[in-house]
Parts: sequence; structure tokens; C-alpha cells
Amino acid sequence: MQLTIDHIRVEVKEGVSLMEAAKLIGIAIPSMCYLAGHTSHPSCMVCMVKDLDRDRFIPSCAFPAEEGMNILTHSPEIREFRKEALELLLSDHVGDCEAPCQRSCPAFMDIPRMNRLIAAGQPEKALQVVRKEIALPLILGYICPAPCENACHRSSIDGPVSICLLKRITAQNDSRRNPDLLPSITRSGKKVAIVGSGPAGLSAAFYLLRLGHECIVFDQHPLPGGLLRYKIPDDKLPKEVLDEEIDGIRQMGAVFKMNNHIDKESFRSELLHHFNAVILATGSEEKQIIEDFGLETGEFGIKVSRTNFETPTPGIFACGNMIRKRQMAVRSVAQGKAAALSADHFLKTGKPLGIKHPFNSSFGRLQQEEFEEYLKESVREKRVEPGGGFMGGFTMEEAIREASRCLHCDCRKPSTCKLRHYAGEYGAKQKRFSSPDRKKITKSIQHDFVIYEPEKCIRCGLCVEITQKQGEVIGLTYIGRGFDVRIGVPFSQSIKDALEKTAEVCVEACPTGALAGKKERKFNAL
Amino acid sequence: MKKPEIIEKVGAIVARRGRSVDAVIPILQDIQAAFNYLPEEALQHVAQITEITPSRITGISTFYSQFRYYPAGKHMIRVCTGTACHVKGSALVYDAFRREMKLAENSYTDTLGIFTLEKVSCLGCCTLAPVVKIDEVTYGHVQPENVGEILRDFLTKKKNSGGQQRTGKVLPGVVQGEIRIGLGSCCVASGSSDVKNELERTLAETKINVEVKQVGCVGICNQVPILEIVKPGESLAFYAHIQAEEVREVILSHFKPSGRMNRIKTRFIGMFEEMLVDGFPKSFQKYLTEQRDTPLTQFLGQQINIATENRGEVKPCDIEGYRKAGGLEALKKCLFQMTPQQVVDEIAHSGLRGRGGAGFPTGRKWQMVKNQVTPEKHIICNGDEGDPGAFMDRMLLESYPFRIIEGMLIAGYATGANHGLFYIRAEYPLAVKRIREALAIGEREGMIGKNILGSGFSFEIRIFEGAGAFVCGEETALIASVEGKRGIPSLRPPYPAVKGLHGNPTVINNTETFSLVSWIIRNGAEAFASIGTPGSKGTKVFALAGKVRRGGLIEVPMGFTIRKIVEEIGGGIAGDKHFKAVQIGGPSGGCLPASLADLPVDYEALTEAGAMMGSGGLIVLDEQDCMVDIAHYFLSFTQNQSCGKCIFCRVGTRRMLDLLEKIRNGNGVPEDLESLEQLALSIRKGSMCGLGKTAPNPILSTLRYFRDEYEAHIQGHCPAGKCIPIIEYNITDECIGCTKCAQRCPSEAIPFKPYEVHVINQEKCIKCDICRQVCPVNAVTIH
Repeated sequence: MQLTIDHIRVEVKEGVSLMEAAKLIGIAIPSMCYLAGHTSHPSCMVCMVKDLDRDRFIPSCAFPAEEGMNILTHSPEIREFRKEALELLLSDHVGDCEAPCQRSCPAFMDIPRMNRLIAAGQPEKALQVVRKEIALPLILGYICPAPCENACHRSSIDGPVSICLLKRITAQNDSRRNPDLLPSITRSGKKVAIVGSGPAGLSAAFYLLRLGHECIVFDQHPLPGGLLRYKIPDDKLPKEVLDEEIDGIRQMGAVFKMNNHIDKESFRSELLHHFNAVILATGSEEKQIIEDFGLETGEFGIKVSRTNFETPTPGIFACGNMIRKRQMAVRSVAQGKAAALSADHFLKTGKPLGIKHPFNSSFGRLQQEEFEEYLKESVREKRVEPGGGFMGGFTMEEAIREASRCLHCDCRKPSTCKLRHYAGEYGAKQKRFSSPDRKKITKSIQHDFVIYEPEKCIRCGLCVEITQKQGEVIGLTYIGRGFDVRIGVPFSQSIKDALEKTAEVCVEACPTGALAGKKERKFNAL
Repeated sequence: MKKPEIIEKVGAIVARRGRSVDAVIPILQDIQAAFNYLPEEALQHVAQITEITPSRITGISTFYSQFRYYPAGKHMIRVCTGTACHVKGSALVYDAFRREMKLAENSYTDTLGIFTLEKVSCLGCCTLAPVVKIDEVTYGHVQPENVGEILRDFLTKKKNSGGQQRTGKVLPGVVQGEIRIGLGSCCVASGSSDVKNELERTLAETKINVEVKQVGCVGICNQVPILEIVKPGESLAFYAHIQAEEVREVILSHFKPSGRMNRIKTRFIGMFEEMLVDGFPKSFQKYLTEQRDTPLTQFLGQQINIATENRGEVKPCDIEGYRKAGGLEALKKCLFQMTPQQVVDEIAHSGLRGRGGAGFPTGRKWQMVKNQVTPEKHIICNGDEGDPGAFMDRMLLESYPFRIIEGMLIAGYATGANHGLFYIRAEYPLAVKRIREALAIGEREGMIGKNILGSGFSFEIRIFEGAGAFVCGEETALIASVEGKRGIPSLRPPYPAVKGLHGNPTVINNTETFSLVSWIIRNGAEAFASIGTPGSKGTKVFALAGKVRRGGLIEVPMGFTIRKIVEEIGGGIAGDKHFKAVQIGGPSGGCLPASLADLPVDYEALTEAGAMMGSGGLIVLDEQDCMVDIAHYFLSFTQNQSCGKCIFCRVGTRRMLDLLEKIRNGNGVPEDLESLEQLALSIRKGSMCGLGKTAPNPILSTLRYFRDEYEAHIQGHCPAGKCIPIIEYNITDECIGCTKCAQRCPSEAIPFKPYEVHVINQEKCIKCDICRQVCPVNAVTIH
């Protein structure tokens, strides 16, 4: 039979769904509850397309193609409709994609993973996790105001995990032996000038060196560190600590040109001529200096893209307090990394690289009864106060105890969850359909390999079908009806009994993080 | 309960119901009947000895609201929350029961385990609203202030009626006449079985020889219990609102006791009883048929009875009476004089459209099934009437079982189907009983089974009892439920006419649709098509209730206006209130303002106006009804009944309800109205079945016609004084200090101050409305 999809004529056999028909001509339609080889019983409605002749929306995953149909799969109206379906799903999806600590960290550091590695007695691996986002963990371990700890779900219950000190201890373990600090094996042959050796400049240098570029850091002061050295008193940040971390970067290959004030003249004659890219991190948002470099000022400081940190002049990037004064050091560090990655991309392709934060589901304050659920994967311990006080920091034994308090708020399927993926793609807002009473999070952890969090479930029923078809004795089932329907285990059995042989298949099929493997995801250091 | 006992009982149930997957609902129903709930051991045993998996048992038993996982109390109190009851204050009655029973939060059974309280969506006794049913005893017109009395009354009656036998035998002799008494659910609820018992006792004692005929629903639910006396030489006399204690007097005024001694005895007893009951108000009213403009003639005069043909004249399960009144003629005509195609054509030409709500042409549906070439086809009678405020199906099933069966047989003959199924909702035990009885008689009489009436056509019919899920009124969900699945509608196509029950072509028609079929065959398509409007032919049965003077079950020609229904048949608005709106079509329908009352009853006209024919609930509202509250009421219902499949319905209706609650609580902002409207339109577009598609109608129609009321709530006041969070009770200077309110206030919000103007402590007031009801001088006001 013949039909028209997005104004293209397509010939299909009888019984083929609209989604499959669209696929034949290369049109991808989003879907979550659909999985090839399973009964398509549409529920998420994200795959809705428009039947133009009958002016109606139909779910393409299950609706059979009919002779002469005229179907539209993409339009602003369809997009808005799918977005609304996603927003309804999100309004009933209680869980964090990234943990609140990570979301509130300006550097977006994977704090829960760091915590788990410390708790497992692997501080070196924890340091790799930290260094993926934070070039100066030791320094920040003293001075960071730790917005992450404010956000920690435990903060409203029995005190947040002592994240800042944990981060510090990962870097206290003889950081020079850490392979992260070695320069990247492949040299790019490109040269980047960094103006300013404060937190932003040091961070930019760290990541550019890692990526194989040559880095020259210019600074008007006698010693590197910028405000870390000249504004922060010794009793807050000991100079040895500062020197130690800067030394690390120097060992990676950074060249520091101190007492070297870059003015209008030297900027043009030296930097623009001898370098492939420039990263400005002077720490000053003063209009005169910026204009001296031939650049423009914006609302707060230097005019720069907030996604790729490039100034209007290609190849010149800016970060840190130049963009806005009195930023948290950790934000400058984060921007240093972002500018470095963008510059790296520029060096390779001629185009800067924008960072886009993925969609993040969140649910607000953790309730006491939910805390009890979270404790299934944590310990009921008070926050550990370091024996040697804040400046002394944790001993390794204290660190392990404290890191074990982490609640594992982060989802185990942050990169494979379809809900997160499409929520990002369609710009869905979780708060649009906010409800006065959200569901309470529960966790089933009895299974050796699987954790089940029903409040993340979108009730597609794929797992119910799989357990039935593959002959589980107990299996999974729908419980209840309507808004309160959930997927659960029959009778008073546990998830361990339900998934005797289909655990892996179910985890794979589950479109969200509701059914997820317990094993830690692979870590990519770069 | 000991385990061996469970195993034994479950074993017996399974032996009776079978081991296959589609036996799951009947098995669970039987287990609950045996144990009062579903013990887990019993369910596990079912999984062990049948093909039914634990997953299915759990899925089914938690989907249908009939099933309980915890034992209930000895007696079930069912507070009807149907539309008619809602507008007459059932929520306050429910709260009053909770207080009276001292129920803790989230608990529904009192601590002694005597009573369990539950809400039911509709008991189908809308004219007696608000209605409460305790076990088999129904209490009508219940007010919050008398729930205590009701509980005491129930327990006393229970104690007294134990073992008592009432005989009603009539001695042979000259039959002096006929007494008809309605025994539909409403009639019974209003006390007609007491009247009947009293009648039989009186007749036995007085040896008066008249025939007592129990007829089905008389339709005049507003006048029940009603006694109809047919006596040769006398005009037909109706006794409306008759009470058991008044029966003797009525009987004796028409008939003479046989034998002199008896006459004396009767007089003596009569005198004695009269002395005892002296001063008892005579509540009944007598109407004679020749009287003009009595409520009865107004009520019945303009109706056309097709589905309700011979209303109040034929005993439901009397096959002889049915035959005498023309029953089975249509079936014979089909079987012996018409080809199946001619039957389908006749129905098609009549213009009959499905009476379940959507109005799909019946002839076309039958033709689709007829065109399928398969060995097995099915006919299903959809009696899963779940709309709160609708009781047409119940009445038809209870009163005209043979007519519906005949309609199904004709459908079977026309389409080539040999299997019939009645799907009747669990809340209608009397309907199930009557149909079961009628089927047994039908089989005995050769009208059901093999080689029907010698025609060679065979057709068997069975009954499936629903388990409590409104969504199962949707045809694909209904089929799923019969197949032993959760009542989840499936995507159409394929339509049931092509792929229905067990994958076979299936006709699913509403009860009322089937009940019209035999009339059409007997009188011809033309006769039917001559009634009604161009697009909507024939008649429509409505359950008229709410704020009208006379509610009841009515059958009017299509095209009849809403105004005539309300003002002429219904006798206008009760009390000195004004006609504000009608809610038509139940949770799928909408509210139409009085200004649109000249709209005809017609599928398209109603849909265009934002309502829907629906299955025929028609609730009349006056200015004391808040439209936001009504919208909230219906949406709570559909939201609660959503199967939970499509995201727009499952979560969307909940989010709409969240918004409505916010508005009702006085916390709304003007933008909420746009959000509500937008979401409503998306739910309509994004839901797959009729439930979801029509769930927004009550919201959209009230937003369309009564937006000002929403706006008033956003500004913090409820014009009708209904929305509890934003109203306040006060006592005016009219107060005479009688202390009645102070004595009855359940929350001690009114200090006891005799002869002083009373004052309500707003902090303590729980807005239960009792003070306003007991005040003899109407000094309690709502602001």
C-alpha cells in the first residue's frame, strides 16, 4: 500500500506501523515505550504523529499504516505536543539524573563517584574523577565554599557529606605520581598563550597540556597563583599547598613567564603573532584593559560567549573573573577548563566548542521516609569531623567513613535514559506541571545485580512483558490502576525472586533508570 | 483461617470456574465471597493449580476496585457518590459517617470490625439522593445529622428480623383485582419490599383475593414506593410514596375481606392499629388515572416507550406476560421471514445509533461483523454502566430481561454469531439475578440454545460480572476484562467488529440499543425513523435526577428539548430555586447552561454544545450548585477511573485535578485557567480511548459557559457556597438561641448559650453543614 509521510510517498506492506514506515525513508520518530520485538501498546505518546486527513494525533509505534494516509512526523505543533507528553512524564518522575551535589557544582564534578571510590579505598581513582573537571582539587579543598554541600540531600537531615574535604584528600596522596599529571602522549604542535595564572588560567593550562598543546602562562606578578596567592591569607590556604599544585602543572610542561605584564603593545606584537590561540584570564573586568586588547565589554566584564568562552575575535578566549568579578574560585576553574576545551576544538577545527548542560531531573528536598530508603545503600552515620580540624583535613580512615555516607543519589543510567535524552532534545521543563504532592521515592535493592526505583518508571510495561514471555515464575506485574499504577512484584515476593533470569534484559529494555544495574558505570577520564 | 481450609475452598472454586486464564476474575470474585477478602495464601494456591500466573493475579486483583486485600467489617456501608448524591451533599454524609465511626486516617473499618465504609460511584437510586446502602438495606435522603440514627436503626433491624418469616399466600377464590408493585432497585430502596411484605401479610390476614404483580421499574422513581390498584369497574389508582404502615388502610378502602369473621377481625385490628398509629402523618398521595395534571400524568404523558415498552405492566421474568405483550414476535419474524441481511438492513434503515454514548450507527456495526467470514462471532451486551448518575441499563436489565435477550438473539441471527455475553457491572446484583433467571427460562422455553424455536439457529448466552472498573464500559477494555486481563483499552483499529473477543468479530452494543431492536423489527424501520431528528432517530432513555421536582427514568423522543424534560417532565426545579444548568452525559459529557435549554436531545447538537449524549445521565442543577465543584467532581471520578496507560490521561487528568484543587482552594491565579484549558485540549488529543478523550469535557464545558465562576474562585469566593476551603459558616441575628446547632455540632465549634445569638468558632468549624440543617429559623448562612 502507499501512503505519504512528511510529503514523501512510501510503499509498505500491510501491517507495518507508521514508525517503521517512516524509518524506511530515513525519518526517525522518538519513542520510549516502544521496543522492537515487543507488543507495542502505546503509553508514552512521545511517538505521536499527525494524521493530516483526519486531523488527529496517533501513536506511530502501534498505528498501522493505511492506504492513502497523509502523515506528518515533525512540525512545531507536533514538537510542542511531544514536549507536553514529556513534561507530564517528568512531573511524575521522581529522581535525580545527576546528584544534587554535582548539579550545584559549578565544575559539574562527579562527586558521588568520587565518594564511592574513596569509600572503596581507591583514592587514586577518585582523583581521576575529580581531575576530569577540577584542575586544582588540593587548593579548592581548602577554599571552596562548597555549594555542593548545601545541595547534598543529607544536608536537611543529618548534615551533608563533607565533600570539600574528601576532594582535598584525593589530591593529598602524592599527586606527582598520578598519571593524570603527565603530558598527553601526542603533541599537537600548537601553542597557546594564557594571560593570568590565577585559578582560571591554571585550570586552562592544565587541560590544554593534557590535550597535548604547549602552554605559556604570562603573569605580571613575581609568582604564579593570582588571587590565590595575593588575596587569600595563609591561614586559609597555606602557600605550600598552592606551590605544590602549581608545581604539578609546571611539571606537566607549563611555562610560567612571570613579571610579565601584557599591555596593548605586547598583546598585539607577541601574543597574536606567536600563538595559535590566546586565553585571557587576567582576573580583571576593567573596561580599559579589555579595550586595550581590542576586545569589547559586555554587561559585567569582557564580552564572551557563555557557552564556548570565545570572544568576538576568533581564537581569543576569556574566562574567570574577567567575565564577572568575584566569582567562586571553583567557577573560574570550571571556566578555565571550558575555555581550554573550546580552544582545543578551535585549534583542531577552527571552531570553538560550546558546552551544553544536559537535562537534569530533580525533585527537591529529601523526605525523612525517603532518607530511610536511601540508607539501604548508605550508612546511618553522623557527619565525620576531622580529628585535626578543617585545616588538618581527614585521615584516610576518616575519609572512608565519611565517603560511605554518600547516598548514591545519582541515577545509574544517566546516559542511556531515554526520558532524559528526549527531555533535553525537546527542551522539556520538569516544573511545568508541578504537583503539590509528589510521590515518595522507594528503592528495591534485594537483587544482586539490579536496583529498582519505581518512581522513575514510566509504566511502559516492557519488563512485565519480558518476564512473562521469558518464563519467569514470579515475574513483574502492574499493580493498581490509573495514576497510582506501578510496576511491582506479585504477592509478597521481592525483586530478587521476580528477576531470576531476565534481570539483564529488563535493565537493557527499561527506557529510564527505574531498572538499572548496580555495577558502577565505566569511567572515561577525558 | 487455616491453610487446609483455604486449599480446600480454593480447590472447589477452581473446579467450578476452570483453570484457564480467562477464569481469573470469576475465581477472584468467588474467593472474595468465600473469605471476605483475598488472602495471599489463597491467591498463591490459585497460581499453583491453574494456568494463571502470579503476575496476572496481582495485576487483575489490584486493577478492579471490587477486590480487597484486607478483611472488611461485618457490614458494608456504601455511601453513594453518584452525581445526584453529590449535588445533594453526599460528601458531607461520607464525612459524617467517618466521624460517627471514629475512623482514623486511611482507615475504613471501625475498631470493632462491625462496619466498613466505602464510596460507590453510583447505586442507581438517584431520585432518593443522597443514598447510603448498608448491606442490603438502602437509606434514602440521608443527611449528615442522622447518620448515627441510621447505624442504630440498621443494627436494631438486623437484630429483630432474624428468623422472622412472612408469608404471603393468597387463598383460592374470586380474584377481586390486581395490585401492581414496582420492584426495581429504586423501588426496593425506597421501601417497596416492606410495602410488598405488608401487602402480602394484609392480604393473607384479610383473605382478600387479589393478584399481586411484581413489576419492574415503574420509572416514576420520584413517587416510589408506588402501588397501583387495578380493579374492574374502578379507574386505575396510584398510591405514591406509600409506606408499609399505610398499606392496610389502602387495601381495605378498595377491597373487602372475605368472610364475616374476618371482616370483623380486620376492623378490630384495623381500629387497634389506627389507635396505635394515631397522629402518624399520612405521607402517601393518591392519584387516579383520569385526573388531569397530576404529577403522574405530567411525568408519563409526554414519554414514548420503546425501550421501556409496557412499563410497569409486565413482571420482569414472566415469559408468558412478555409473549402476551408482543414479545418474541420480532425474533420469529427474523428467524422465519427475513434473511440475516434483511435484518441488518432493517436496523440500518431505522437509523438506530448506539446508545452507549458515541452514537455509532448500529446497522453499520452489524454489517461489519456480518461481512467477516469466521466460524466464531460474538454478541456482547454492554451493561457495564458506570457513569455516576446513570441507571438506565440497570433498570432495563432488571425490568425487561427478555427484551434485551431478544435483541441479542436478533443481532446474533443477523450477523451470524452464536455466542452471546452479558457484561453486567458488579454493583447491580439484582440485574444479574434477573438476567440469570430470564436466561434459564429462555433456555427452558427454547428461545436460547440449540435450534431456537425450531429455526435451526443456535445461540448461547452467558453472563460475565464486572469487577468494578468504569473503563470497562469501553469496548476493547471490556473484551480485555472478559479475557481475564486488566481492563486496558487497546488501540483501534482493529475494531472489535473485526477482531474482538478471543480475536473473533464481535458486536458490542449497549443494553439500551438491544432493547430497541425488537420494537424496530415488529413496527418496521420507518416507524422508528419517523421519531426523532434527521441525525438521531427513535427515543432516548434518561436518568433524570438532581434538583428537579420529579426525577426518574424517562424515555423521550429524540429532538425533545432539555427544557421540556426539566420543566414539564421533571416539574421544574424543586424548592424556590432557579434552573441553572444540566449536566448531561456524565463524566464524558458537559454542563449546559439554562440558556441553552432549548437544545434538542440529538447526538450532534449536544456534542457541538460541548456536552455529549453519553449513556443518558441527566442531572439538573440550581444556583446552589457550584460549577467548579461539579467539574472537580467529574474529573475526580475519571481521574480515579483512568486505566493508567496513556500518559495524557494517567498523569494529565491528575495535573488538571491539581489545578482545579488549587482554584477551588482559593489559591488559583488567572493563568491557571489557560493552563487548564491547554492541558484539557491536549488530553483530548493525546488519549487513545473514549474515557481519556472525553475526560476534559466537564472542564471545557464549564470553562466555556461558567468561566465567571472560576474567576470568582480565583478571587477567593465561591458564589454557590459549596467549596469548603473558601467558605465560612455564620449565624445571623435571626438566631433564637434554641441551642439545637450547639448540641449537634460535632466539632464543638458553637458554644452552648441558651436564648442568646449563637456564634461559630471558625477555628473549630469543620463545615459539615449540620448546624444549617438543624436550624429551625434559617439563621445559619454560608459566605
